[in-house]
Amino acid sequence: MNKTFDRYASVVFAAIGAFFVVSSRTIAESAYGSQVGPNLFPLILGIILILLSARLMFETRSYQQKEKEEAPHNLKRFLIMVFATLLYAFFLEDIGYIISTSIFLFVGFQVMGNKTWWKSALVAVLFTGAVYGLYVEILEGSLPGWPTWFGL
Amino acid sequence: MSALQYLSDGFLLALQWHNLLYAFIGVLIGTAVGVLPGIGPMSGVALLLPVTSSLTSGSSPEEAAASAIILLAGVYYGAMYGGSTTSILLNTPGESSSVVTTLDGYQMAKQGRAGSALSIAAIGSFFAGLVALIALVFLAQPLAEVALSFGPAEYFSLMVLGLCAVSGLGGKSMTKALIMTIFGLLLATIGIDSVSGVSRFTFDIPDLYQGLEFLTIAVGLFALGEVFKTIMEDNGGAQDIIRVGRVLPTRQDLKDSAAPIARGSVLGFFIGVLPGAGATLASFFSYIMEKKLSKHPERFGKGAIEGVAGPESANNGASGGAMVPLLTLGIPGSGTTAILMGALLMYNVQPGPLLFSDHPQVAWGLIASMFIGNVMLLLLNMPLVKVFAKIIDTPSQYLLPMIIAISVFGVYAVQVSTFDLILLLICGIAGYYLAKNDFPLAPLVLGLVLGPMIENNMRRALTTSNGDFMVFINKPISATFLVIAVLWLVIPMLLKMRGKKVIINEEG
Repeated sequence: MNKTFDRYASVVFAAIGAFFVVSSRTIAESAYGSQVGPNLFPLILGIILILLSARLMFETRSYQQKEKEEAPHNLKRFLIMVFATLLYAFFLEDIGYIISTSIFLFVGFQVMGNKTWWKSALVAVLFTGAVYGLYVEILEGSLPGWPTWFGL
Repeated sequence: MSALQYLSDGFLLALQWHNLLYAFIGVLIGTAVGVLPGIGPMSGVALLLPVTSSLTSGSSPEEAAASAIILLAGVYYGAMYGGSTTSILLNTPGESSSVVTTLDGYQMAKQGRAGSALSIAAIGSFFAGLVALIALVFLAQPLAEVALSFGPAEYFSLMVLGLCAVSGLGGKSMTKALIMTIFGLLLATIGIDSVSGVSRFTFDIPDLYQGLEFLTIAVGLFALGEVFKTIMEDNGGAQDIIRVGRVLPTRQDLKDSAAPIARGSVLGFFIGVLPGAGATLASFFSYIMEKKLSKHPERFGKGAIEGVAGPESANNGASGGAMVPLLTLGIPGSGTTAILMGALLMYNVQPGPLLFSDHPQVAWGLIASMFIGNVMLLLLNMPLVKVFAKIIDTPSQYLLPMIIAISVFGVYAVQVSTFDLILLLICGIAGYYLAKNDFPLAPLVLGLVLGPMIENNMRRALTTSNGDFMVFINKPISATFLVIAVLWLVIPMLLKMRGKKVIINEEG
């Protein structure tokens, strides 16, 4: 068990609970024909969440702090992949599915340790083409294929 | 009409060629997903959720729902089976329900009996599926009729019971499981309230008016979360895979495993019916039981075929049993069934007692397709075991970015919004860190799915009682559910305090 993470988590969850409690007070307290309004359920849940977070915080006191036995982590690889996914998600609509996916996959393959760049590029393009072709041509779904300013 | 009549209608539906194809694709992809390291049944089903919805977009809503659920259920069974393949060949369980299989399965493989172990697992799974099917046919309709007499108060308490059961068995720390449950319920309140039309917690962001999309969260938490875990923690050490020799089991193997398979199937089914207690517990209990009943308990852990046959049947029986509360009560007992329920809701099909009267095609079609799926698993796995074993070798540098790309594609194809893609990524990161620190994800998804229903039933009950909370205790059935719910949380706590080791059900 990770003491530090659980402590932070309990603070975060308590804050989330408090947020729901506070903002549910601004929601109407009754609905038409009923004394029970849309505020009640989130209010109760928020309170329970705060109580549970307090309990988690209390429980962390009895954790035995383990010695460092962390396996070698690939934090750098992880961060690059997260960042690449973020850019991919963000620009998918603007530059179209085909270009964004090909670039993302190429970068992903290289980051994950593929040695030969042309193989990565080939697989990336083939995979993108296969997904796009299958979905748009055969299943007749709609995806933004190319950037709109291509005029295709 | 009698249950058998409905069942034969269900078979007619499931035997339509396109549904057969969906069942086949589901089982095939499921097995592959189960064999692949890093994706289990839950992430497999989540990953395919958007894909199925675009696959079935051409047909009428009800047909589409039946087809989609047939495919997804196929993935579920397939992945369960695929998970045991890696347990036997690699000593690394694909998912938690096949952890027990490693004990004897890997030993058998080392002795050159990998083929027997794999085929016994397939036969056991098939038989368990059959038992679950028969039990479902007889249990489903009566249970649904009982549930029809429930009012909002009873329903509310029943759902509370379901959530407590899953949280109580949900992971290493009950507090964390409960936090995740409540968090899921809270996330479900975001959006426009269906009763009063008031928008809640939306901050005037249009994307939030419809609430957080279940599909996005499920794919993010499970599929992306597991990919991030592999990216972070896997260092790509190549493992030695044991070669599969003779595939068919010997006569002696069959004789030895017949009784364990039968016992495991029945035990598994009933454990699966209980909310919260899923395939993992079932396989665990079955192993313990076989060891106790065996005349040679010392052989267990050294390659006893009973130790593979029993648990493997039990975990498949449990996944069939888990369908009972989902279909009849509308209450999923595990993460995977919660995702299946989310899929049904996407098609406007509400699981629950009315499912059998409103959408008999969907309910009975699914039950029939379970059987067909199991036949396909058997037909597919006996000859193809060697092929599937090769999938384990798929280089992860290609696989992981592709899974991310499929997740993004799937969510975008259904939601068509950049907002959902960003939410997907956030859920992926959150899923990785939460799961890593023993915050179980299944209760969160369960809370998210059940949230709107639990809230509506609570408000309906309170409206009829003029805001008096005693309504939940004054009704005997409702009170019983609540008492069981409290016991479910308190008993493990007491046992823990007395220093007993409590068996928990990780994932499911």
